[in-house]
Amino acid sequence: MVESATPASFSHFAEEMTKRHHDLKSKAEDRKVEFLVPPENIRAVVASIDELIPDAFPESVFGVDLQNDKYELVYFFWSRTMQMLCELRVQLEGPAPSVETVSDIFPGLEWHERETCEMFGINFTGHPDLRLLLLPDELEGKYPLRKSFQTDRSRLNESGLTARAAAGQKDGGVSE
Amino acid sequence: MSRDVLNEAVEMWFGPQHVSAHGWAAKLTVVGDFIVECDPNAGYFHRSAEKCLEYRTFQQGSLIMERLCMLEAFLAEYPYVSAVEKIAGLEVPERTKITRTIMMEASRIHSLQFWWGQFGAELGLYTMCLWPWVDREYFLNAFEELTGSRHTVSYSTPGGARYDFTEKSVRALEQALDRLEENLPKFRDMLMGSPTFRLRTCGVGQFDAKRGLKLGLSGPNIKACGVPMDLRKDDPDPNLAYHLADWDVPVVESTEHPGESDAYDRMVQRFKEVETSVQIIRQLLPQVPEGPIIDPKARAKANRLPAGEAYGRVEGTRGITTLWLKTEDKAQTPYRAKVRGPCFSSYYALKHLVPSARFADFIVIFGSLDPYPGWWDR
Repeated sequence: MVESATPASFSHFAEEMTKRHHDLKSKAEDRKVEFLVPPENIRAVVASIDELIPDAFPESVFGVDLQNDKYELVYFFWSRTMQMLCELRVQLEGPAPSVETVSDIFPGLEWHERETCEMFGINFTGHPDLRLLLLPDELEGKYPLRKSFQTDRSRLNESGLTARAAAGQKDGGVSE
Repeated sequence: MSRDVLNEAVEMWFGPQHVSAHGWAAKLTVVGDFIVECDPNAGYFHRSAEKCLEYRTFQQGSLIMERLCMLEAFLAEYPYVSAVEKIAGLEVPERTKITRTIMMEASRIHSLQFWWGQFGAELGLYTMCLWPWVDREYFLNAFEELTGSRHTVSYSTPGGARYDFTEKSVRALEQALDRLEENLPKFRDMLMGSPTFRLRTCGVGQFDAKRGLKLGLSGPNIKACGVPMDLRKDDPDPNLAYHLADWDVPVVESTEHPGESDAYDRMVQRFKEVETSVQIIRQLLPQVPEGPIIDPKARAKANRLPAGEAYGRVEGTRGITTLWLKTEDKAQTPYRAKVRGPCFSSYYALKHLVPSARFADFIVIFGSLDPYPGWWDR
């Protein structure tokens, strides 16, 4: 049995977090607390979550492509004893976005980070294993979930279906 | 100085052509018949569901979701529907709130019946595969009677449901429940009392709640450790009706290893899950009120959504299943949709749970976590 939460109620948690990390911007709603985390602080913030929430459940990490070389990472943690969803947001910029891994603090996030890396090209420094997870080798470095990734007929050459498309078959390619 | 056993290590693939490895493969490093390293591989089923969702309208999205896990189709499509309803601010009629809950629980039962048959078969107990699957047919008949389809049900839609309960479909569901209630104790005693089954599962794949949570395990895998973590109680969706039934979160409190669960406990847990679902359905069936099943304006409202973000969450058969949705103003398709399949984590957890187990126990550990490839490959 996981030990029940120490006094750490919902608002107490948010207070404690902002006390520890001065540059956090927080927003609390019903059962949900959200923090905007500067990229260089992500490890410290996740370590605090691990410390302050006894039954923190790492729900997911994923990327969002905001276009023009801007990306957002969203982390979700759920706590049953505190009935609270904790959301972290990290904003990244530049052609080679990078952030430190938290997979050693929460091993359950290792694959989430690995998938975000192959799909968005966001590098997680210190991650033990950033091989492709879901994608075939041909798509290495193509980052399919970026908005700039075309899914129209311009990709036909890669799929090896060019000949059929030239023959005018409707089912020849990957269309929208 | 003892010899370095790793010099004798052999790498071997479990799957993808192995009969138990239906769409997955793990690279095992073995010394003798002990596994020292496990590297689960994903991607055999990858259909880029998240990218596809960005090109489908809000009415179509749930159809992709249910195809990720057809065993629990009613549950799988719901996170998407829930997220769209939150952004669009749709009201759901009372009748649909209850019928949705009923069908989601029926779907859970169906999925668990499939699982225990499969798990039995993986251990060589084929009777467990063949007998309960007859009962499973009755649930499929009920789904077919309601929606016209046995697996891809496409039931929930933003703002309501696509199909209405009829006298005939309720009778089909009741028939399935009657049969299940009659046979469940028989099957449970047959399996749990089997010396072979006990020998194969007791003490195998054991972990405590804290470790399980860190690995991202949820649902029955965590409840079997005695932690009543269940979104149906903890974070109930406003458009479902779990509060109308009187039920408790089923947990297993092991006396032999308190706070930990092994493959046997997880089996006990899943039988309890079935009982709870039956209990919920039995209480909700008489409460279904008359009325419309969908808000007539819902279709138009879900056509173009305002800018927003929403997080749809549901307690799936295998754990916390979520969908995060981001929309732009007046767009007809999502800007980003992120699916969190519960098995993404439970499949990954093999990397940590399998090393030091015997080779023959590998499939027991895998099966006891109930992973479904559609959820991690998406």
